[in-house]
Amino acid sequence: MTIVDEIIPSDMALASDFVSGVFEKLLFLSLDDATVFNLKLCLHEAVVNAIKHGNKLNNALRVHIIINNETNKLIMEVTDQGAGFDHNALPDPTDEKNIMKYSGRGVYLIKNIMDDVKFINNGQTIKMVKVLKKEEG
Amino acid sequence: MDIKLENIKDVALVVVGGKINMDNCNELRDAFKKILKEGKTKVLIDFNKVDFIDSSGIASLIEMFQNLEKVGGQMRLCHVNKNIIGLFEITKVHKLFGMFENREEALKEF
Repeated sequence: MTIVDEIIPSDMALASDFVSGVFEKLLFLSLDDATVFNLKLCLHEAVVNAIKHGNKLNNALRVHIIINNETNKLIMEVTDQGAGFDHNALPDPTDEKNIMKYSGRGVYLIKNIMDDVKFINNGQTIKMVKVLKKEEG
Repeated sequence: MDIKLENIKDVALVVVGGKINMDNCNELRDAFKKILKEGKTKVLIDFNKVDFIDSSGIASLIEMFQNLEKVGGQMRLCHVNKNIIGLFEITKVHKLFGMFENREEALKEF
């Protein structure tokens, strides 16, 4: 089932409110607090990356966000209109020489939090999958 | 994000609330600059009311940590919720910041 299928302009000022709005639509899934926190962070980082690094803050370019709920998993896809990137070429932010850097943690967090992450079309699309556990009680 | 600055003896206490993200982390940077300008070198950040932080927010903490390190200062965090601790652990920045259960425990370690 598709829960979200929206296209937004590359405006950084819209990202946080957009992500918060998305999670209002996921309330019916009764996700636990930690899962909501982690999903929100990953979607936020992916949308920010798409606007900033993908579309280079070009307001004429768009970001497409699709969220699907399958039997026991949530699939979030974020697509920009930029030139793409090689996720394998990103430096490891936990390496001693990078730990003090001010950037480069977004994709690393996504890769470590989500259960499956794929980069499609040369990195224009990031597809993030989380296996869901319903809140007990 | 709410930021309140207080002093506990020679320690600058920064009480933060809400979300620390790319929209507002410059406000936190400005608060840190003010503390450094006042010559304070011991900083305790109370995360009790922080419910979200993104990679930009983490970067602002690293920047403060570095600035304090340059002047021989120290930075401690307290009341950090388990979701945020999880992010610090994934990115290994928890090794940089001393993290404590509460203000009292953190103050003891300066």
